[in-house]
This record gives sequence, C-alpha cells and structure tokens, in this order.
Amino acid sequence: MKKLINDPAHYVDEALDGLTLAFPSLVRDGAAGRVIRRTHPASRGKVGIATGGGFGHLPLFAGYVGCGLVDTCSVGNVFEGPNVDSCIEAIRLADGGRGVLRLYGNYGGDRMNFDMAGEMLEDEGIACTTVLGTDDIASGGPDQPARRRGVAGLIYAYKAAGAAARSGSDLDEVTRIAAKAVAATRTIGVGLAACRLPSAAKPSFDLGDDEIEMGIGIHGEPGIWRDKLRPADMIADEMVERLLADLPPAAGGEVSVLMNGLGATPMEELLILYRRVRAQLQGAGLTIVAPLVGNYVTSMEMQGASLSIFHLDAELKALLAAPADCPFWRVG
Amino acid sequence: MSIDASRIGAAIGRAAGAVQTLEQELNQADAKLGDGDTGSMLARVVGAMAQSGAADATDVSDAFGKLARAGMSATGSSLGTLISGAFLSLSKQTKGRATVDWSDLSRLLAIVLDGMIARGGASLGDKTVLDSVHALVLALADVSDGAQAATAARVSANDALHRYRDLPCRMGRAKFFGDKSVGLDDPGMLACAKLVDAVAGAETEFANITT
Repeated sequence: MKKLINDPAHYVDEALDGLTLAFPSLVRDGAAGRVIRRTHPASRGKVGIATGGGFGHLPLFAGYVGCGLVDTCSVGNVFEGPNVDSCIEAIRLADGGRGVLRLYGNYGGDRMNFDMAGEMLEDEGIACTTVLGTDDIASGGPDQPARRRGVAGLIYAYKAAGAAARSGSDLDEVTRIAAKAVAATRTIGVGLAACRLPSAAKPSFDLGDDEIEMGIGIHGEPGIWRDKLRPADMIADEMVERLLADLPPAAGGEVSVLMNGLGATPMEELLILYRRVRAQLQGAGLTIVAPLVGNYVTSMEMQGASLSIFHLDAELKALLAAPADCPFWRVG
Repeated sequence: MSIDASRIGAAIGRAAGAVQTLEQELNQADAKLGDGDTGSMLARVVGAMAQSGAADATDVSDAFGKLARAGMSATGSSLGTLISGAFLSLSKQTKGRATVDWSDLSRLLAIVLDGMIARGGASLGDKTVLDSVHALVLALADVSDGAQAATAARVSANDALHRYRDLPCRMGRAKFFGDKSVGLDDPGMLACAKLVDAVAGAETEFANITT
C-alpha cells in the first residue's frame, strides 16, 4: 500500500495546511492548529455547532465546516479522538452567545474529550448540549443505540441541525433537530480492502484478495459477515434489505440516500450501486429526494462503500433543502 | 523511602524507554482487535510525558499534573485519554503533598479507577485496562515499601492479563469481535502489564540495592 506522504508524524498537519490553502473558507485555529473553523464566522446570535473526530475520514469531519452546516471542528490524529484542548477551543470558537451543540460520532475517545471539554468550560458560562451520531446498524441492534457507531449518516445531522441553527432556532431546538436527524438515519458499509495508518507498517486489518466484509466500520471494525466478492447488485440488494429491516419508528415515504465511497472505490462503481439501490427503494414504495453519490466520509484508501438512508418528514425535508455551503457539499 | 517527584520522573523515563521496544508488539496486539496503533499512540504519549519535566516538579501533585497535561496534548484516543485522566486524578488527590507513601498507592488508585469508570463508561469485567487497575488496587492494599509494591504490581498486572485472556472483550472497538476476542490479549491490559513490569522491575532492583 503506497502513500504520497512525507513524515507520517506530519500527516495531519500537512493535510490541514493543504485543506485551508485549497479552500479559503476554512482556517486553522487553536494553539496547536487543530481546530478548523469558518474564515468568516457566523454573526453573533446563532447557536454554534462544534464537531470533531479523528483524522483520515475527509471530507468528514473538518470538510463540513461551513454556512448552514457546522461552525468548528476539532481534529485528532489519524483514527484517534481529538484532544481535550482542541475540543475546548472548538466549543469556544463556535460560541456565538446562544450556546453550542456538540455533534459528533459515538466513539470512546471523542466522547471523553468532548465531555471533559464541557466540564472545563462550565465556568465560562457556555451552554452546551450533545448529540452523538449512531447511524451504523451493523454495530448494534435497534434497541442498542448506545452501541451504534456514527458513520457517514452524520452529515445528514450536520445538514439538518446546521439549517435549524442558521434559521435562528435556539439551542434546545437545534439539539432536538440533530437528535431527530440521527434517529432518522441508517447506514451500512461494505469493505473490499483495508487502509493503512501512516505510522503503521501493515494494513489495519486483513481481508483476502477475493473477500468482502458486510457491515464493516470506518476504522475496519468487524461487520456482519465476511465472504467471497459478489456482483454489485447483490451487494446493493443486501444493503437496502438490511437498512429497510431497521426502519425508524416514524419512517414515511420519502428518503434521501447517500451512496458513499470509503476512499479508493471509483465513482463508476458507486454509480453502479446507486442505480440498483434506487430501483430497490422505488420498488419498496419509497421516493428518493436529493441523492448524494461520491466520497463524503472515507477511511483514507479503504476500498468499499456505505449506503445511508435518511428518512424524511416535512420538517427534515425542508431542512435538507435549505441553503448550505462548505467545500464538499453545496445546497441551494 | 516514599514516592517523590524525582522518583515519578525516573519511573516515566523507564516507561518511555520500554515503550520504544514495545511499540510494534502492542501495535500487533491491537491490529487483531482494533486498528493497530496502540503501540504508536502510547509511544507518543509516554514519550511526551517523559519530556514534561515531571522530575523537576515542585511536589508529587505537580509531577502528576505535568504528566496529565503532556498526555492530554498528545492524544485524544480513548486509552490515552483514560491514562491522562488517571494522572490528573492523582494530581488532584495529592495536592500540596511533597511525597506519597507506598501504603497510600492502593487508596489513590481506587479513586483513579472510579474516575476511569465514570469517564470511559466501561465496567469491571469488560476486559479493559480498568481490570488491570482494579487488580493493582487489590494487590497494593497491604504493601508498605517500594520493593513490596513493585512485586505486587508486577504479579497482579500480569495475573490480570492472563485471567482475562480467555474472556471476551465487552468494550470499545474490540467488543464487536465478541467471542473472536477470546484468547487475545486486550491491548490496554497488555500495555499495562508490560509497562508496570518495566517501571517496577527497576524499582525492585533499586530497592534491593539500597536496602
């Protein structure tokens, strides 16, 4: 597994430098430069949204800093949670006087550091709430949301909560919307080949040349089954079937769909999957609104894809359609 | 002889020396249950702690505080954050004390353990570093000097590693492996046993020489 890198110890910082140089709407901030924030922050009086997470998943997390999405992002090392200092800085920089929603994926290190940051900021009087992304159905049963990891579907929570915050909603309302969006999102991934951490000598997991793993996590966490590669349509069918077997209670007839590449899978293959996914969802009586196909949440050079379904009602549909602008997702 | 800042500094120096040789072994243990970076993460964290000037701290609380802050800056990983939090707890508990007696270690670690459980959300028995710390709390309860503490710590951390090896992981990324984790060491427990061995091994020798 070859990589176009320099010193692995500089992987994150050099990539963040490139990110902010290529996309001037983003800027590095914080004592160690491990917060990405909007170059032109929202005017005061808006509820702030701070996110964060380990590195190696771009465009997630830092790439979704923008208007109508999240305000700041704390950035950890590759596949490690962000440290507490960067979480404190991300919350402070997101604060516009009406409180801050901490919105990030359900992983141990991320949780501990955002929790500690909140405790350390209590004296500063910044009201904080937390919503965790828990959309990965392969990591826990429907009755075990605390066990479920946050994966690609987190960007729908960014979109909905970001739109609510931009419209002037208060912290309680933005928090309610974020939690509602998470509860309405389901994701499953399929892995074809592992990635390698820049500091590691070997790939992060072993998968045979002719094998795939259904339900794999974005760090290579084990999934539901591992077996021989099969045609794209069969994989798409199983992903749709598993996601529709796990419907949120209030699911209606409209969904948005994110057909996401994990890093090294070409657009062509994502489109082959998407056409089958669309047919299957239509066959199940669902209407697709604002589909997304591409690399939205990756694991460096991991090969594979994930499918997220965002179940819409009138409220979430309007929030999804509201204007938003970041380097990797533009609406309106 | 009790524990003072220079002794804490020397201990973290020994840990930093040992973690260099342990790095790939811990990475490989983690590759079976996680993404294979526990060794590299710990090398970075313990290395930063060794550079924190703990040996020159004004008292033990300050020494523990320096270790905590160095660790917190070096990582946000769950294991690294738990370790940094443990030193922060020790710093708070020893505020204003120039030294800590060996016989205090168990009581201090019991409060550290409560904090780790509250922060990380794991329970005892989940096959995590918490089970190693719990074993240390029990084993250090009756020690009165450094040599006894070193032996008790080495034996108990190693014993905990062996006792849990054939149980399934129930926390963190490793829990998704379920029964496939039976027979595999938890990387955090393995790191604890190896680092306690490195730190306490020299402590035993030191005690033997000086007594």
